[in-house]
Amino acid sequence: MIEAKRTAPSRAKTPVRMLLKVPALHLISITVGAFILIPVVFGILGGFKDTGQLSKNAFGLPDPWVPQNYLDILTSEAFWRPLGNSIFVALATTFLLVAVAAMASFAFARFAFPGREVLFMVFAMGLMFPFAVAILPLYHMVRALDLIDNPLGVILPQAAFWLPITIIILRQFFMAVPGQIEEAATLDGCSAFGFFWRILLPMARPALATVSVLAIVNSWNNFMLPLVIFNDPDWWTLPLGVQQFHGQYASDTAKVLAYVVVSMVPALAFYAVAERHLVGGLTAGSVKE
Amino acid sequence: MATVTYTQASRIYPGTPRPAVNQLDLEIGDGEFLVLVGPSGCGKSTSLRMLAGLEDVDEGAIYIDDRDVTRLPPKARDIAMVFQNYALYPHMSVYENMAFALKLRKTPKSEIDRKVKETATLLQLEDFLSRKPKALSGGQRQRVAMGRAIVREPQVFLMDEPLSNLDAKLRVQTRSQIATLQANLGITTVYVTHDQIEAMTMGHRVAVLLDGVLQQVDSPRVLYDRPGNVFVAGFIGSPAMNIKTVPLTEQGARFVDMILPLDRKQVESANSEGGNGQVTIGFRPEDCALVSANEGGMPITVDLVEETGADALVYGAVALDNGNEDERFVVRIDPRNVPRLNEVVYVRPKSDAHHAFNAATGLRL
Repeated sequence: MIEAKRTAPSRAKTPVRMLLKVPALHLISITVGAFILIPVVFGILGGFKDTGQLSKNAFGLPDPWVPQNYLDILTSEAFWRPLGNSIFVALATTFLLVAVAAMASFAFARFAFPGREVLFMVFAMGLMFPFAVAILPLYHMVRALDLIDNPLGVILPQAAFWLPITIIILRQFFMAVPGQIEEAATLDGCSAFGFFWRILLPMARPALATVSVLAIVNSWNNFMLPLVIFNDPDWWTLPLGVQQFHGQYASDTAKVLAYVVVSMVPALAFYAVAERHLVGGLTAGSVKE
Repeated sequence: MATVTYTQASRIYPGTPRPAVNQLDLEIGDGEFLVLVGPSGCGKSTSLRMLAGLEDVDEGAIYIDDRDVTRLPPKARDIAMVFQNYALYPHMSVYENMAFALKLRKTPKSEIDRKVKETATLLQLEDFLSRKPKALSGGQRQRVAMGRAIVREPQVFLMDEPLSNLDAKLRVQTRSQIATLQANLGITTVYVTHDQIEAMTMGHRVAVLLDGVLQQVDSPRVLYDRPGNVFVAGFIGSPAMNIKTVPLTEQGARFVDMILPLDRKQVESANSEGGNGQVTIGFRPEDCALVSANEGGMPITVDLVEETGADALVYGAVALDNGNEDERFVVRIDPRNVPRLNEVVYVRPKSDAHHAFNAATGLRL
């Protein structure tokens, strides 16, 4: 009896619930989408206006459309030079970071040695170290190493600061690789490094892609460290370039908008390519669960 | 081709009371198919992994031919192993999986190609060479795992329950394929399984292990006909042998009114070493018959009849005067004439088909 009473109303409710659930989900996704899209569209459209239009007609369509802002930026040294610097710093950081983190994670994941967990905790503690707090001692250190206005002054600290999260992600992935695969490789004649290089890294491609994308995006958006380290405009990265633009065209907000939009494009293009690799599941099928 | 010899080989995991493998002495002949069998935790996989070099040998030694491999790293032992989960490399195609070990040994490309293709033909894998493991069925993956071992032409094959991830029908099929393959290749093979039917059907010889100790190693026939102790008697054969400990008389073992005859020497040794007037008797379900009341059988009350098609299994219980509860027996009979539930039937083992063991030590008399 009790069972029947309980199930009856819920059965009646189910279609009603579904009826409410679908529009609610749509509403949520539209709201979230709007929060993401509106600023981007505002930036793109704003780039096509001149300053007068921006102050009079901030939210409408440009009238007339002014391509001059984009053309100016695309033909200016003030854009291409920081773009090159950003790409170089991002790639160098990522390469260094992933290479070091993969090796450290391999040791943490596949070897049992005394003090492993303690050492791992020390690495993981770096997560709780805010970048902003470290900036002053970091600056002193970089200056002592004579790396001011040297790309290494940004690359090395960036790689070091993102090491903990990268190691945590990669270690988790490496630990999930079944021990029998390692044993099979050992019997096939692999050394420990051979297993790492020929089996583990190729298998970990989705994880490596994930941490690489994270590192590249972080480096691309990093503002504070380049600001402190790079005094010479020749080394400025894109976020600093905006600043410089801002000063140069103090009243020209439209140009700043155009600059920001253009500097997003390489990151978006990169993401479009990398996203495919982010999908995991490469191990599916090697071992029957 | 090679022989394998374990001499007093032991594996002791730190912090455990008894060795996982305890002083294993075993000689495996050239080209022999030896099966290690036993319940889970008996040390059969550990023994295999010691030979592979994946486990340390804490005491004793292991030889392949006359070469002491006890301290050699796995890759110096010239062995290949098939894992229970196959352990294929997921990012490599079937071809690359099979070629991997040869590639590491810097075998010339043309030779790798020839060997891989030959092996693929042998295992009917030609059509799948470019596929990744995840695009294969369970049986195909199993064959790739076999192929990866075969292509290396090792001195010894090791197989760690390679069939346990297949469904029942495929398992029976693959079982005979592996046995045929091994016979054709003539490579010494050590095979681990927990399934005694697999062990009996595949092995030239079968080694039965329990708690890290080798119980008996012999041909399947001898294990079945003359089990060396109570454990082997109960482990080999399905359904398991009826094994009961009963009072001992001058003439033999007493099951209610039925006396199973033992000769004088057997009675003597049954009484020694703490046997204490008791003897352990085993007889197989297929070695007995149901007889009428006056033919001297043991009366049991039927509580279950299983018909398997070819024959029927009759389960029933009787109170033996050994101080225990009612003891259960199983008898394999002709399915065309089965007793009803709760009927009392009379069971009599065929003459001389019973096995006698010392009640205290469990050793065969």
